[in-house]
Amino acid sequence: MRVGFAICTCIMLGALAGCSQPPRPSNKLVLWHWMTDRQSALQKLAQQYKQETGIDVDIQLFAPSEAYSQKIIAAAQADVLPDIYGILDKKSIVADFIKAGLVTDLTPAMEADGGRWKNSLFSKALADKSFWPGNIYGVPPGIYGVPIDVTNEQMLYNKKLLAKAGIKSPPQTFDEFIRDARMLRRVGITPFVSGWGELWLLDCFASNYAFNIMGPEKIFATFRGQVKYTDPDWIRVFQVFAQLRKNGVPMDGIVTKGNKYAEQDFALGRAAFAFDGSWCVNVYHEMNPNLDYGVIPPPPVSTEYPLMIWGSAGSTFVVNGQSPNKDKAIAFLKWLTAKKQQVVLARQTNNLPSNREALISTSPVLSEFAQGMDRSTHPNIWPLNEDPTVSEAFDRGLQAILIGEKTPEQVAAQVEQVKEQQMAKKREQER
Amino acid sequence: MNGKMNRYVFRKMARSTLTHTFLMGVAITCLFPIFWMVRCALMTNQTVFVDEGLIPHHLDFGNFARAWTEGNFAVFFLNSVVYTTCVVTGIVIISSLAAFAFSRLDFPGKNVIFYMFVAAMMIPLPGSFVPLFVLMTKLHLVNTRLGYILCMINVGLSLSILILKTFFDKMPHELEDAARIDGCSKIGIWWHMALPFARPAIAVIVIFNALNVWNEYILAFLLLDNSNLMPLQRGLMVFQGANGTNYPVLMAGLTMAAIPIIMVYLFMQKYIVKGLSGEVVG
Repeated sequence: MRVGFAICTCIMLGALAGCSQPPRPSNKLVLWHWMTDRQSALQKLAQQYKQETGIDVDIQLFAPSEAYSQKIIAAAQADVLPDIYGILDKKSIVADFIKAGLVTDLTPAMEADGGRWKNSLFSKALADKSFWPGNIYGVPPGIYGVPIDVTNEQMLYNKKLLAKAGIKSPPQTFDEFIRDARMLRRVGITPFVSGWGELWLLDCFASNYAFNIMGPEKIFATFRGQVKYTDPDWIRVFQVFAQLRKNGVPMDGIVTKGNKYAEQDFALGRAAFAFDGSWCVNVYHEMNPNLDYGVIPPPPVSTEYPLMIWGSAGSTFVVNGQSPNKDKAIAFLKWLTAKKQQVVLARQTNNLPSNREALISTSPVLSEFAQGMDRSTHPNIWPLNEDPTVSEAFDRGLQAILIGEKTPEQVAAQVEQVKEQQMAKKREQER
Repeated sequence: MNGKMNRYVFRKMARSTLTHTFLMGVAITCLFPIFWMVRCALMTNQTVFVDEGLIPHHLDFGNFARAWTEGNFAVFFLNSVVYTTCVVTGIVIISSLAAFAFSRLDFPGKNVIFYMFVAAMMIPLPGSFVPLFVLMTKLHLVNTRLGYILCMINVGLSLSILILKTFFDKMPHELEDAARIDGCSKIGIWWHMALPFARPAIAVIVIFNALNVWNEYILAFLLLDNSNLMPLQRGLMVFQGANGTNYPVLMAGLTMAAIPIIMVYLFMQKYIVKGLSGEVVG
């Protein structure tokens, strides 16, 4: 009995200690992703890659994204990450992966051949996946991710509904937008819908107008605490939302609406305008393939500064820093983001390609979205971001304006109060 | 006399009507989601958001075939049957043995070990993902059926041991003594007496754990890489895109996934009602 117990204990300890051999280079790459809608396209491309190079790429899908993220964290801790994978977490987590040696710096590969690979991709998307010298995360500067598509957020308009209200062309200015909204209301059409129950989307819309009204320097100065939210320019930003409410522009219940439901509303012709991301092309196609719509940037309220929209890398892959097949993995990603493959991906998945040369082959709506990439920005590439507590107070304030609970001035004062509290806390911590 | 009788009958009828109306309301709220699932399964992705009638104007049975083929249901279905059968069998055997030991045997640290098992119920599954994955990797059980089955047995043990121990505690000692006099060993008592005695409790354990394993997918995603080893719920995820969902096909898949578990419930409901109506806890 005791001998049996001892043998069992030895076997268990031996197994627990692990006796695996270090992985060796091979002609097989493993790629983990979370995108169910891109699985078949990626598999087809992997087959094509095998025919061309003899390298087998095993595309493994793990959805939904929450389960995928758990798997990535667990696999990182167990040291069994695949050759190619994506990290869906925030930038600080990506930084932790990089510092642990789990992500390869792709800068040398990107800059080889006079930067051919780098130059073929949208610079804004690459910037999103780069770490600059002196970054707050302490990561060596470089490009660490390869976006296989890009996204941006713009306004969409339903051509039939606009025509029904007698509107001949989409609005070019905010005043024209308000005028069109009134015309739509007159014929019983809801002018505008968006998933503003999701604060990030509301924040994105407000940020577009902040750039348009005061320009980037003043926005960042506000984040640094050098400009107050009670400044007349910020009041103008809040007034954009007050005007929307005053003129009956938003759909009822917009501040509690998730984007998924807002997308349903627009796809089914329940609203004439929407504010959404470029992924909506795929969603609308699924729900209503006959929807006739176009894309415009949010109509500017001022001519002082250009209106900037949010745009960034979409789905992004990284190469495992500990993979024995690093070079082959980089070569595959280079091939995947080449023009030919990007055209296939864009056509099959209705996403904006990350390779700018592939844009000519996309649908007209996607091309309209793509035009916005040059005027895009994103919080991930800003030199600094607002304190999250202040951002939340800001967005909640916008919701309060939209439901008529507060005036722009009241919200401005309230946000400024939160800002001062957070600044005081920060000063105390620094002491 | 007649008047009193009529009043009694009237009160009885009124009470019965009220009770039945209330129970019908509860039944409808339970059944309506299932009806809605089947209804949506018979629509297209275009009509599912537009057609607001209870019965769809146009019935599309093709969603079931699409779910079966696109979701690779044949493989996943078989995997789920294997996992559910093995895990439930494992849980019943191990938990009944453990519960019998906790209830009937004396050994050092009995209470401490039992409370440790009970305390394990308080740890949510996602909280143990990372250590579980690391352990399974070290044991070379990642991406194997055995690894997943062992983990799922572990997940279901605590509650099952608690239920069965409570049940065995109520088993008369005289029965056990009589069996021992007749020459039964401890294993013999467990097999010939304790298990038949605990049949209603075992039915509850079977249905709870079968439901748990049948609907589980997060642990499967974590431990399994090979899609041929994945359970049925994995097939359903195919229809849930990052930005959009194919609701009719998803509902068709859900309908097919729900049928076996409903069958298990219907087959065992007699024991489940017994088990939950007091016999489990005496």
